[in-house]
Amino acid sequence: MKHQPHAVEQALFNRRRWLQFSGSTLAGALGVSGLSALNQTPANAQSGYRALVCVFLYGGNDGCNTVIPTDTTRYNQYAAVRGAMALPRSSLVNLSGSDHGLHPSLSALAPAWAAGDLAPVFNVGPLFAPLSKAEYRSLPASDARIPQSLFSHSDQQVLWESASSRVTERTGWGGRAAATLGTTNPVISVGGNGRFGLSALQTPLVLPEPGGTFGLNGLQNPTWAPEVERRRALEALYAGSDGNAVLNAYMAQQRDALDMSARLGALVAVRPGDQAGSLLDAAFAPITTDGRVNTPIGRQLYQVAKLVQGHVTVQGSRQIFFAQQGGYDTHSGQIAGTSLDGDHFRLLKALGDAMACFYNAMRAIGMGDSVTLFTQSDFGRTFKPNNSSGTDHAWGNHQLVLGGAVNGGTTYGTAPTLVIGGPDDVGQDPWELQGRWIPTTSVDQYAATLLGWLGASPAQLDTILPNLRNFGSATNLGFLSA
Amino acid sequence: MTPLHLAPIVADLGRRALAVAGLSAALLLVACGGGSGGGTASPPVDTSGTAAGLPDSPTTQLDAVRLADQGSFGPTEALVATIRTQGAAKWVSQQMTLPASRYRSGGTDAVHRHTSQTDFCQGRGDNCWRDWSSSTPLLWDFYRNAVSQPDQLRQRVALALQQIVVVSNLEVSGTYGLRNYHNMLLDQAFGNYRDILRSVTLSPVMGDYLDNVNNDKAAPNENFARELLQLFAIGTCELNSDGSLRGGACQPTYNNQKVLDYAYALTGWTYPAGGATPYGCWPRGANCPYYNGDMVPLPAFHDTRARSLLAGVTLPDGHTAGAALEAVLDSLMAHPNTAPFIGKQLIQHLVTSNPSPAYVERVALAFRSGRYEGFGGGRAGDMKATVAAILLDAEARSGNPASRAGRLREPVQLFTGVLRALGGQTDGDALGWWWGEELRQHMFRSPSVFNFYPPDYPLAGTPLVGPAFGIHNANSALQRANFVNYLVFWNGSGPNASVPGAVGTRVNLQTFVADASDPARLVDRLSLLALGQPLPAAARAAVIQAVGSYTQQSSGNDHLTNRVSQAAYLVFASPHYQVTR
Repeated sequence: MKHQPHAVEQALFNRRRWLQFSGSTLAGALGVSGLSALNQTPANAQSGYRALVCVFLYGGNDGCNTVIPTDTTRYNQYAAVRGAMALPRSSLVNLSGSDHGLHPSLSALAPAWAAGDLAPVFNVGPLFAPLSKAEYRSLPASDARIPQSLFSHSDQQVLWESASSRVTERTGWGGRAAATLGTTNPVISVGGNGRFGLSALQTPLVLPEPGGTFGLNGLQNPTWAPEVERRRALEALYAGSDGNAVLNAYMAQQRDALDMSARLGALVAVRPGDQAGSLLDAAFAPITTDGRVNTPIGRQLYQVAKLVQGHVTVQGSRQIFFAQQGGYDTHSGQIAGTSLDGDHFRLLKALGDAMACFYNAMRAIGMGDSVTLFTQSDFGRTFKPNNSSGTDHAWGNHQLVLGGAVNGGTTYGTAPTLVIGGPDDVGQDPWELQGRWIPTTSVDQYAATLLGWLGASPAQLDTILPNLRNFGSATNLGFLSA
Repeated sequence: MTPLHLAPIVADLGRRALAVAGLSAALLLVACGGGSGGGTASPPVDTSGTAAGLPDSPTTQLDAVRLADQGSFGPTEALVATIRTQGAAKWVSQQMTLPASRYRSGGTDAVHRHTSQTDFCQGRGDNCWRDWSSSTPLLWDFYRNAVSQPDQLRQRVALALQQIVVVSNLEVSGTYGLRNYHNMLLDQAFGNYRDILRSVTLSPVMGDYLDNVNNDKAAPNENFARELLQLFAIGTCELNSDGSLRGGACQPTYNNQKVLDYAYALTGWTYPAGGATPYGCWPRGANCPYYNGDMVPLPAFHDTRARSLLAGVTLPDGHTAGAALEAVLDSLMAHPNTAPFIGKQLIQHLVTSNPSPAYVERVALAFRSGRYEGFGGGRAGDMKATVAAILLDAEARSGNPASRAGRLREPVQLFTGVLRALGGQTDGDALGWWWGEELRQHMFRSPSVFNFYPPDYPLAGTPLVGPAFGIHNANSALQRANFVNYLVFWNGSGPNASVPGAVGTRVNLQTFVADASDPARLVDRLSLLALGQPLPAAARAAVIQAVGSYTQQSSGNDHLTNRVSQAAYLVFASPHYQVTR
């Protein structure tokens, strides 16, 4: 899939050329950043700072046990199929006014619901265009209307991260958005590389955990000849270009790394407890022990919180972040004995607590309305469990959006009919009656709602999300205020 | 020689390992393979199909260094001299005749024979989990062997295989089981891919990792079946022999029904006998968890109904689990995808991330025919033929590689490469929880069955892929240089007393000090070793100047050693070392 070259992206390409010819100097790396002159104003005229935070749940989160219907009819349908995997209705975190509840492990998010800052979005997944069950069953698997390689982890991660229906897509929708909107920085990831932040020309900026070293050792002394000469020689090694494409790409990424480390190294290194009276530390205190946030997702969101708080140092008025939590591929051991224990219980506890701390941190620093967090995941899981206390790969899944700008207190999207072999289940034959929902909302529509809030115009949305036009006017699901 | 490990924590399963033949003193930097007790000895090597009797065919420094990067854990001056004399074909042939190095360290099957109600680790000290359940003992052996044992090519192929047929200590514990799995890959690296798949499918470690152990026909778990098809054999899209998409776009190789068919076909296996728990074995009729040996059939769990598999292979009604396994393997080896799908990934692991379609096709042909220029025995899936085809192909040996050629040296190979080139030794301990985590390649702890990085990770700014770039970013770019700094300026790590046979992780720069009085000669010597050729002119001049800035006046009597550190830092941190071409 190609998108048309965009004026802003062309300008970015020229910026990279400029960096290559002039060579990023290490003197610049030690002092003031050389990139401040390259600030780009976003295409959208809105003022103020806005950021999106993607939390990708790797492995395929079981949405059926994340957001659960609480009205009698549908709860009974749920319980009948889920059996031992069903959560007791009394254990659910009540989403009052919505006929739904959350998994009990997400209890830390109850205040956000009460404040109108949390919303579930039902049955989202990769689609090319709206797809009925009849079409799904009659079209050949190679038809363009059937997203490729459904039910495969790696491919579905690609489809979600790239908002595409084709597994050969090389760029992520976060990366394309950053390029099209002309954000100062690429996507900043605190959760590894992934595909989400890649654009045609840029990689995401991937940062380490709080306290992590983000710079070169042994080059601190600006006056001792051997170190001065070492810096100069490194510069010479990284400068210029080579006939080999792989080497060239490596050298370019190295130069970018040195520039970024100069600007962000000190901020990245700050740990809980380093700064007395830190509002972020107070917000993350419930999941911090002895100066360290307890969970990987917690540490990642702490890092994002710092970068939001320090956005003047980070630069740019629009920023997309990427974080992730793994382990959701619960083919077995999803529950342990009861549904109030087991892998999914523990995963969602870590997630909900970290999300709540992050939400509180944003409000504490006055950025509550400026930052929107949203989940993605490879796919949902089978409504009907398997015989190993687990569930298998499915398709459409429920997501959560969180932040002051969210029109919360209600639900979005269309909840599936909870009938095995029913109108929303891909399956009909006896061997395929497991409850895999055909999405009724596409990743494109979900992403378009988020990016529209970030400041993308309709034309920019069509550039970033090529399949969006297949959904007609339904490009804003409404869960974010303008 | 220092023993690799202390006797008490080592499995005492019988014979001493045979001392590895053909060791040269220059390569023997740490304890040799013949340590005290422990572990199964390597099986005798099948030297058929190794193109024996090839003559010497001397080659250039550049070609020798490239082959060392492709087929070993990094050039040493001694290895390069050997390859220069023998040439590529003879060196590959010789490598295939060497006995396999082993994994020996770590605890026994006692972890799966524990019938007391108290915790297994009670009274076994602070390192109990590390030594009995974790993959850390394997990591020690891996790095020691990679830096010093002569069966370099076999170890490289095993490293490639374990990044395709992945198991991970993140989700499976039991040191002795992981040791069995990885010894299996070493032993079968020059065998046949069908046999490798068979061993993988029957491995109780894999059975736990992907849920095929005790898989029950009543509601089969699809995890193993899906990943067997997707990752271990054929992939998700139909391929031409040259690795390109058949028809130019992705046509699925299987659908959900086929995954279920394979899941049903692979039901009915349980752990081998030998395990015990305080609470008996569950479910009824199954064996307790146990990792010595292959899984055994559990007929009550096996679905015997007729099945239609891929490549026209079918199963009749009333078949057994064993027959189903053979049919599954037959269907995968007969599928046209397997040769290019596996062949291309092996090329990516050894030589280049972006092989030309013609190169993939030649390797696929070797895989399918089981033969390549005197290598191999003629059965489809022959690993000797495939590996020889990969390393001896014109595209791998070309003196003028294309612009798309090469690959990013993955972190494991960065660690071993610098250590080997600079006379180093390691017990592996610093390369796991510290540097392995730092650079996102902690051996034996892949984040998932999809390996540390995907084979198709896009290389931004190009139309190419760069798999190792999937774990490379601004942070790791700096940490690669910091790793070299740690070795050459910060003197690495000292031995940690809790590690058996600890030697720390250190280089030895002394052999290079003799050339340090002449910065240009020193820099060129290191460049010729690390890169096969001198650095580009402008960079070379700057590096020489940097080396020369250490003088008697500025640094006293250590200035010659400091010059070696400076030169080594710049050469090994250079992008020209990080990317092999």
